[in-house]
Amino acid sequence: MENNVKRKIAPYLYLVPCMLIFGIFLFYPFIKTIYLSLYKTNKMGQAKLYVGLENYKDLLQSASFINSLKVTLIFVVIVVLGGMLLGLIAAVLCNKAFPGIRFFSTSYALPMAIASSSAAMIFQIMLHPAVGIVNKLLGLDINWLNDPNTALICVAVLTAWLNSGINFLYFSAGLGNIDETIYERASVDGATGVQQFFSLTLPGLSPIMFYTLVVNIIQAFQSFGQIKILTEGGPNESTNVIVYSIYRDAFFNYRFGSAAAQSVILFVIIMIITLIMFRIEKKGVNY
Amino acid sequence: MTQINDSVALAVGDMSREELLELKKTMNAKALAKRRSRTALRITANVVFAVLILLPLLYAISIALMPSNELFTTELNLFPKNPTFSNFVNAFRTVPLLKFILNSFIMAGCITIGQIITCSLAAFAFSFLEFKGKGILFMVVMATMMVPGEATIISNYLTVSSWGMLDTYQVLIVPYLTSAMGIFLFRQFYMTFPISLYESAKLDGCGNLRFIVKILLPLTKSAIGAMAVYTFINAWNMYMWPLLVTGSNNMRTVQIGISMLDSVDSQSITLMIAGVVMIIIPSISIFIIGQKQLIRGMFSGAVKG
Amino acid sequence: MKKKMIAALLTAAMAVTSLSGVAVSAADNSTDEKVEMADASDVDGTTITFWHSMGGVNGEAIDTLVKKFNDENEYGITVDAQYQGEYDDSLNKLKSAQIGNMGADLVQVYEIGTRFMIDSGWIVPMQEMIDADGYDVSEIEPNLAAYYTIDNKLYSMPFNSSTPIMYYNKDMFDKAGITEIPDSLEAIGNVGQDLLDKGGAGEVMSLGIYGWFFEQFIGKQGLQYANNGNGREDAATAVAFDENGAAKNILTAWKDLNDKGFAPVVGKGGDAGLADFSAGKAAITLGSTASLKQILQDVNGKFEVGTAYFPKIKSSDEGGVSIGGASLWALNNNDPKKLRATWEFVKFLISPESQAYWNAQTGYFPVTVKAQDEDVFKENVKKYPQFETAIDQLHDSSADYVGALLSVFPEARATVESEIESMLNGKEDVDTAVKNMSDSINKSIEEYNLVNE
Repeated sequence: MENNVKRKIAPYLYLVPCMLIFGIFLFYPFIKTIYLSLYKTNKMGQAKLYVGLENYKDLLQSASFINSLKVTLIFVVIVVLGGMLLGLIAAVLCNKAFPGIRFFSTSYALPMAIASSSAAMIFQIMLHPAVGIVNKLLGLDINWLNDPNTALICVAVLTAWLNSGINFLYFSAGLGNIDETIYERASVDGATGVQQFFSLTLPGLSPIMFYTLVVNIIQAFQSFGQIKILTEGGPNESTNVIVYSIYRDAFFNYRFGSAAAQSVILFVIIMIITLIMFRIEKKGVNY
Repeated sequence: MTQINDSVALAVGDMSREELLELKKTMNAKALAKRRSRTALRITANVVFAVLILLPLLYAISIALMPSNELFTTELNLFPKNPTFSNFVNAFRTVPLLKFILNSFIMAGCITIGQIITCSLAAFAFSFLEFKGKGILFMVVMATMMVPGEATIISNYLTVSSWGMLDTYQVLIVPYLTSAMGIFLFRQFYMTFPISLYESAKLDGCGNLRFIVKILLPLTKSAIGAMAVYTFINAWNMYMWPLLVTGSNNMRTVQIGISMLDSVDSQSITLMIAGVVMIIIPSISIFIIGQKQLIRGMFSGAVKG
Repeated sequence: MKKKMIAALLTAAMAVTSLSGVAVSAADNSTDEKVEMADASDVDGTTITFWHSMGGVNGEAIDTLVKKFNDENEYGITVDAQYQGEYDDSLNKLKSAQIGNMGADLVQVYEIGTRFMIDSGWIVPMQEMIDADGYDVSEIEPNLAAYYTIDNKLYSMPFNSSTPIMYYNKDMFDKAGITEIPDSLEAIGNVGQDLLDKGGAGEVMSLGIYGWFFEQFIGKQGLQYANNGNGREDAATAVAFDENGAAKNILTAWKDLNDKGFAPVVGKGGDAGLADFSAGKAAITLGSTASLKQILQDVNGKFEVGTAYFPKIKSSDEGGVSIGGASLWALNNNDPKKLRATWEFVKFLISPESQAYWNAQTGYFPVTVKAQDEDVFKENVKKYPQFETAIDQLHDSSADYVGALLSVFPEARATVESEIESMLNGKEDVDTAVKNMSDSINKSIEEYNLVNE
């Protein structure tokens, strides 16, 4: 009897350390946030006026918030596709040993060692229209960060670059996990390199690709530091992703209630996307 | 290759021994040349790609070595004309950068180790054990990844200050001792192992903890390596939380350190970039050390077998 | 089952905390009681915390001053100076800290946070300590003090004040044969073409989209930003720059320069225009006096840097400039000894000697009148004669043109910047931009007044 009880409880015990931390530092504050989102708050962030779902209604009707949603979506797509592509190319390039591979694989993963704020400062100088090297090298005169048409792309490319490092690591780990012998067998059967890539490599990468995709998406939704430094949400709100809008409302405009509501909406969006992804996992990922 | 073999088989009967040897030599030479050119192509592709990826970093180093007036010119200035270390010297003088680096190291190191422990334990439970509510709990864990940091930071600040923990190493570390990302990553990796691995260990009388430590962890070295490096660097790069919970120079971390190099109204860009370059060096070093483990794990062959 | 338990615990925890939140706010209502200051001889061994946002060169100067005070003060006071990030971050940290009753004793807050601080109920107005100590207020530069004074009560002590000036490339002006330095946006428009054609300028003016400049342009017209006496007679309830036409004049002139190609969009913020100027591309830029030293360093003798008064809109305007920067606020921690220690430290910081040093190191304006008699100050001005412009400009402005006080100033500034940006990017015309600005800011003011007493 005793052993039975022990066996039933044992799995939960393994979860205690992480659940404890989550409980105190994540669940609790988040529930508080949900609570705050139903109020209008004063400048100290304390709930003052109960307004129920009015904060949500105002948000969903405000052109600025709808713009934030749109901007965030475009941003996420560019960041995820760009970051994963860069990481995948780098991983494939380093898949077979060749002289100097150590140096190159270190270089490809380097972007992950850089803080988003540090990278933003570097990119800010690079993209300066008069003294930055991007315009000098390309012979252009575009004001990258101040033109509403190019600002979002710049910030997204920076983020993709930052992510390419860790993506490279994930994909390399994934590629290393694929059994070499299946390639040999495929060669014997007459499959070309390209065919091998699409029918053997990619499916073999699918568990790690799934993980990388989900993680990249979630991270992209929460990108903040670089936007704060490079564009502050502008120009003309063309880089006003939801997280930045939350920061502005909470810490700059002293409107915690509205910021809390945006946090909740963001959370719901990410959760829906992740749930969809897990459904796809059941169908497409091979273990 | 198969076609060549076929034609060789047909012709073999008509050739003498010497001609056969010659043929073999030329075929080998061709194969070698083919392999060599493939490698050369690979190297070239790598060089091009690497330059692209490294460009921002190289440029940053270049700026850091420039005296501040050289930056402000409309001519192409990829390389400093009068390189100087003055920016680095000034950065060190302006803020106690070494203490900050030490603090960041301690903080990031403890967080990394803590996360590896808590996440592998949790992921083990999620992949190998059956229990009620497993699916829901996993979803709940995943949900934590989706909570935006801004939503929790003030509340957490109030919590830790009411515990009197401000301005210590503990306050920097404790809230980050676990992460859904780590649990997720380990779980994905563990799922690639057949359940028979665990069952046969159990049959041999191996307890859960022993299984984790002696069998599971060594097999997932590459995943641990990737996650450790990632976690360390993320912790190294934290800004908002350390800003809120530490105040004295004793406890300050590195990212706040370089923002101290920025003075409103008289911004010196070269000084700031020098600071940025300096704090990248430790994180890159950790990363290079961690990479060795990673590569060893990757190239030591497949996990199965 | 576990989930239910967790849920129950969390709800309980949350309930407890919300209650304690209420308790804290109730205790904060002791705003206007006079706070006692201990006697100067009683504060031996007291340590006070000073939060500031000065990094880089300015941070070094603060550290030097603090060390000097700690070493030399005869009261046994120790000051613990802590850098708390930029002004925005520092203010947020202060808010959180105050909720938990663990803020600092002296804090540096930017000028647009003035109204917020006054309304916060956390502070001890400087005036009270001035009165208790018999300090002579006339020692403080009147135009600087005027900004932080309401109803003859000085709330905070100006510390790092800057004024806006116009920087120009003397070489280009000489080459173009321009002898009279333009004093208004209108005048700049007149000399612009010559600067491009004959002066060799790549750009006439690199004008950053900065809310502070907008406010200065209003002051230069002698008009007001907000109602209720610019937010000084009473808390402002709406902006005034739409009705009195100030905004329309500014935006029209700005757009005009932009249309002519003289003032392209270079970015947002006060520093945005500096790079083009220092690189020798733009002939003119507007900036703070505190940037002078850095600009000279970045220019490094490539050309001669001249300074002039901040431009008006039309040369016929009459008005003045107001200040920027930050001031020092004493926080009420119900500790008479700490209050006295704070006051002694403040007096040290604004002493002529300290201010002359501060000015020479940073380019901020000296707060004390007598600082201008110090040798350090005089030598600095001799070395950088361009600094004279700032002094003259401030003395030429009357205290009438001291800027506005607004509870939602940070947000208002950001709104102004983004509307100007939209206008310059061709997305809206002048009238729409002005209307959007005033509608948006008025709405914020209303909402703020709704939930805050």
